[in-house]
Amino acid sequence: MSSISPGRLRSSDPAVGVRDTLARRRRGSRGRVYSASRWIAAGLFALLLVSLVVSLATGADQAFAHSGIGFVWSGTWNPAASEYGAGILVVGTLVTTGVAMLLVVPVGLGAAAFLSELAPRWLAGPLSAAIDLLAAIPSIVVGLWGLIVLSPLFARDVEPALSSVPLASWFFHGHAYGPGILLASVVLAVMTLPTVVALSRTALGGVAVADREAALALGATRWQVVRRAVIPGARSGIAAAITLAMGRALGESIAVAMVIGNEPSIPHSLIGPGATLGSAIINQFAEANPGLGASSIVALAVVLLALTVAVNLGGQALLRANAARLLTRERIPS
Amino acid sequence: MLRRITIPLLIPLLALGGGAWVTAGAALAGQADLARVAPATATLAPGGVLNERTDTTTPAAVTLNGAGANSIEPFFQRVFYDYNKANSQTTVNYSPAGSSVGVADIEQNTVNFGDSEIPMASTDLAEATAGKIIQIPVDLGGVAVSYNLPGIKQGKLKLDGPTLAAIFDGTITNWDDSRIAQVSGLKDLPNLTIVPVHRADSSGPGWDLDAYLIRTTRAWVSAIGTSKPSKTWPLPNVGVGEQLNSGVATYIHQTPGAIGYVEYAYAFQSGFTNVALKNLAGRFLLPSERSIAAAGTNSPKIGAFRFDIIDRPGVGTYPLANFSWTLVYRKQPNLDTGIALGKLLYYVVTQGQKAAAALGYAPMPAVDVQLAVSGIEEVETSMGARLFAS
Repeated sequence: MSSISPGRLRSSDPAVGVRDTLARRRRGSRGRVYSASRWIAAGLFALLLVSLVVSLATGADQAFAHSGIGFVWSGTWNPAASEYGAGILVVGTLVTTGVAMLLVVPVGLGAAAFLSELAPRWLAGPLSAAIDLLAAIPSIVVGLWGLIVLSPLFARDVEPALSSVPLASWFFHGHAYGPGILLASVVLAVMTLPTVVALSRTALGGVAVADREAALALGATRWQVVRRAVIPGARSGIAAAITLAMGRALGESIAVAMVIGNEPSIPHSLIGPGATLGSAIINQFAEANPGLGASSIVALAVVLLALTVAVNLGGQALLRANAARLLTRERIPS
Repeated sequence: MLRRITIPLLIPLLALGGGAWVTAGAALAGQADLARVAPATATLAPGGVLNERTDTTTPAAVTLNGAGANSIEPFFQRVFYDYNKANSQTTVNYSPAGSSVGVADIEQNTVNFGDSEIPMASTDLAEATAGKIIQIPVDLGGVAVSYNLPGIKQGKLKLDGPTLAAIFDGTITNWDDSRIAQVSGLKDLPNLTIVPVHRADSSGPGWDLDAYLIRTTRAWVSAIGTSKPSKTWPLPNVGVGEQLNSGVATYIHQTPGAIGYVEYAYAFQSGFTNVALKNLAGRFLLPSERSIAAAGTNSPKIGAFRFDIIDRPGVGTYPLANFSWTLVYRKQPNLDTGIALGKLLYYVVTQGQKAAAALGYAPMPAVDVQLAVSGIEEVETSMGARLFAS
């Protein structure tokens, strides 16, 4: 076929008619309005994001000027004595999120594997709907449930039992108050479980059928298929699910504030009370002393934002890698 | 097909939008500030005389919004409801998010009135954006130190300042400590870990207890490093922190061995067991309407800058009592709102005090009611004319 260039097309060619119409539409006023509105919408969104970051940075200015970058890791948080340092809160945030992830990953992955591979269809549907409903429960309701229902249970039964287990007492010692890092982590786990289950299930479902069949053909049992063929194949999708859940757990404020005991000191036991960035902001934002106090609260928000953005960007990058991988079939990893 | 989906959706959406528009319009019309502004030459105060028997002005429908102390919420809820039953044209909304929120909101003029357990200091008053703020005492309440010790009944546990300070700074960790037995005279205290509970947010009750401990215990002053009471609990590293009176109350209720401070109204309504605190005269007193009222009568010359009635002299005086202060701007640009606000506050400080005792507060002494009324009478229009004739 001869190469087609716009000037040489014959008028009877049907492609000419379509192309001319499209070109005319693009040049027309409706086309310009559409492309302009796309740019405006994107610009507005970017502007919103930038202005959020800028206003937070301006608000936090005084706190960082006072303490320098050391604010992020420095020691005490005691607003009554005008001592503002985010270090303990960052540790508390990372510890609660870390323990929550330790609880969520096995349970969530197991549930996802069960729903995707092993459950009969009549069970998988309602069960995954129930798990999705868990995601719809507002955070404050979960926090209230944690304070009223779980807290006495933990104080009476769970925490004393944990402290009496010989090896575990290194992590669980001290008086069982009820509210504490362990309870906050459990509440966070309950809130982030649906995310992990839903996204992992999608990732597991995306592993090519041929990979499973190949494993079965090689004589693998159902468990071996799941463990050796399906989960490794969905690895990046599962990691993305976990990082997105972590992003939510890092920022959760009101539920954590109700069940963590609000003690801004380095936690020496998972049973003891602690404090996180979110809980400190919730407790202090309405009444921070104007000037350094209010600025320190905003600085906490900046630190939290930086942490959450980093984790979310990581999760998104992993999701993209997984999506790209789904398009190209891979061999079963040996 | 798109049309078949969107049209049925449009009708309820338009109805909702129209309804919202109408109510917003009505609300805005109520706020219209050119509507009724008293001329500067008026000789008769537009609000008439503040007197519960005669009401010479025709009331307009007004909604008043307030925010502030969590501790006064039971009282306000009751008196605002009663006032609305008698004067249906005035609706009052109150948000008990905390004293500091009330102060911040009234400074920004986003509410008609604020309420704080601790009146505003001159630095806070300087931050006010719409002029001078009048601070009016509306209520006399107390702070209960409640505990959960199965078997130790109401009135048996007697504590003084130093022992309580040792509990709250972590020096005493178990209920069977000899110091507690010595002060309270109880021999059969259980072997139970003490869980001190404080407010994670800032609070008036926290200020009261902090002031009491500062005044009675030198060890407390060195533990917290200052002799100035603070609304934010100064030792958050000891024990558990919970939000608002209800959070503290819930935790005390469900945790054996817990001890914490709550507004007496909450403790009264929940039937908590409270500590009998040692007052300045050396007697151990439970919080009650009588002991809190005694704190009020034994503190005759209070004002917004002399508000402290903690640890007052008097045999029957409960040491942890405080007035609650309502904050309003002196200049009210909207006449209807100003009059409604004045009448509401007048009701609260006169007839409304009858509801106080049943809820766990004490009626204000007459001298403080007089102070409140003279505060209300200071409210004026934006031209400077008084709203109420005295």
